[in-house]
Amino acid sequence: MGYRSSVDIHTEWDIVAARQLGRNEAKKVGFGTVDQARITTAISELARNIYLYAGAGKIEIERLNENDLFGIAIIASDEGPGIPDVRKVMEDGYSTSGGLGAGMPGVKRLMDDFRVDTEKGKGTKITAVKWLR
Amino acid sequence: MNLQVDLNREDSVQHFKVIGEIDAFTAPALREKLAEHPVEKGMKAEIDLSDVEYMDSTGLGVFVGYFKQVKETGGQVKITGLSPRLKRLFDITGLNEVMDIEEHKDDKGGLNDATV
Amino acid sequence: MPQQTETEYKEILRQYLENQSEQNLYMGEAFSRKLIEKDISPEEVISIHKSALKDVLPGLPSKVWHSFDFLIEMMIRYGLALKEHQSLVKRQEEMQLEMEVASKVQETLLKTKIPVVEGMDLGYVTVPSRTMSGDYIYFVGNDMDEAGVAVADVMGKGIPAALCMSMVKFGMDSVQHSSEGPSGVLSVINRIVEKSVNDSMFVTMMYGRYDAKSSTFSYASAGHEPALHYVASENRFVELDAKGLLLGVSPDARYEEGSVALERGDFIAIMTDGVTEARTPEGFVEKDTILEIISSVKDRPAQEMAEHVFAELDRMQGFRLQDDFSLVILKKE
Repeated sequence: MGYRSSVDIHTEWDIVAARQLGRNEAKKVGFGTVDQARITTAISELARNIYLYAGAGKIEIERLNENDLFGIAIIASDEGPGIPDVRKVMEDGYSTSGGLGAGMPGVKRLMDDFRVDTEKGKGTKITAVKWLR
Repeated sequence: MNLQVDLNREDSVQHFKVIGEIDAFTAPALREKLAEHPVEKGMKAEIDLSDVEYMDSTGLGVFVGYFKQVKETGGQVKITGLSPRLKRLFDITGLNEVMDIEEHKDDKGGLNDATV
Repeated sequence: MPQQTETEYKEILRQYLENQSEQNLYMGEAFSRKLIEKDISPEEVISIHKSALKDVLPGLPSKVWHSFDFLIEMMIRYGLALKEHQSLVKRQEEMQLEMEVASKVQETLLKTKIPVVEGMDLGYVTVPSRTMSGDYIYFVGNDMDEAGVAVADVMGKGIPAALCMSMVKFGMDSVQHSSEGPSGVLSVINRIVEKSVNDSMFVTMMYGRYDAKSSTFSYASAGHEPALHYVASENRFVELDAKGLLLGVSPDARYEEGSVALERGDFIAIMTDGVTEARTPEGFVEKDTILEIISSVKDRPAQEMAEHVFAELDRMQGFRLQDDFSLVILKKE
């Protein structure tokens, strides 16, 4: 486990703060410009989902160092309604995306590892990890 | 590809006025509109189709489904304003025997020509 | 990113900046094809461009370099949209394959053999508007003096209609060897359909039976398009209408039964609404037009008649059927 910091998401402006935090941490880990942009786009997507569907939640950023691997983890968590059908949300072309390449499949593509834990009425926790190559 | 449904309630009768074409594309919207008013016990529903120029089998399916639901609760469905073409559809399908069907009041022909 | 790609890009860019010739651009175009093949995303291309430019044109103002970072940010979602598109195309190909297999399964399911009955010439055409059909034609017969034909049309089209259709097929199999008349057959199928379909689904069906001993055709209809009886001696068509509710609406629906005697040269045409509701850009095909088309080939064998009517209506609709098309002709020889 490495260093972890977080941003609470309540308003749209908090999305910017979460991106900023993610970019700073990504830089520290040593990611290049393209990967920094990918990581922040993933943060945007996850933070916006919290803002739109759960109302409030938080984005945590953790620097990872496992064996000789360095990376970054985004942990997006909320206590919202939960995702009723994760399989559907993970499908390309699902309504939230509508050909814009966004949504959960987009986040999954931008990152290396992706994990969803959700429970109806309790909330959702999404963990997305990118490793430095 | 447009469909409009106006609703109003008058003396315990739920009126629906449907305007446009009812086909596979618009049928889901029509089904949703009808479902906006939950089927109540013994309810009376009246659906005015005088401004429906075209309806295909999917559209008919919506009314069949609605009819079944209303009938189950002991209610009635009345369909009014049928053009000769639509009237024929209800006649052929035998729905005229189970539903209350009313033809278009003023026979204006033209637009409502039955071609088959 | 392989170092080699960056080096190659840098070289092509350098040459272009020096000469700005069409040949340089052509090389660039060829290279972009390679980038796509290698699955290199738009944002990576910008990043390659930026680092190449750093070598080729050093000393640009720092704001120019920042602008590339901005452009990278812009391209991330284009990259995602492209990936999504590629994955959707792949999924569509898979579905296409699945549909083709399903349609083969349906073909087997739909297989029916025209019975041989003395003095009766039978022909039919059934063509789906999409890969799978919601129309169904099924013949039964003892290959001696009796032939039965079922023509059914499941509401809607495509896969849902096709699934529902297989239910009708199994229903027909169950009455195949029974002595039920047309209205009895429809009652049986109605109970099967009513139990198994959702509220807004229904099936229309006509069942007819020809008895060679008496030369009569008896029929019953469950909300189906009336069949046409061509009376040769009077050179006119008579609609064969029998009262009966759609299948699947009410479990205790009853079906009226009618019958007509057929004379030499008479024929019966049973169709689905893909025939009568044919729509051209100018509107519905008039009933009289359809009757004319049928009349024009009344002296040909039944199979040729059905094929001709299909060919004509298909042509009138610009070879794009709006609905599944089915037509059966029973002709008294």
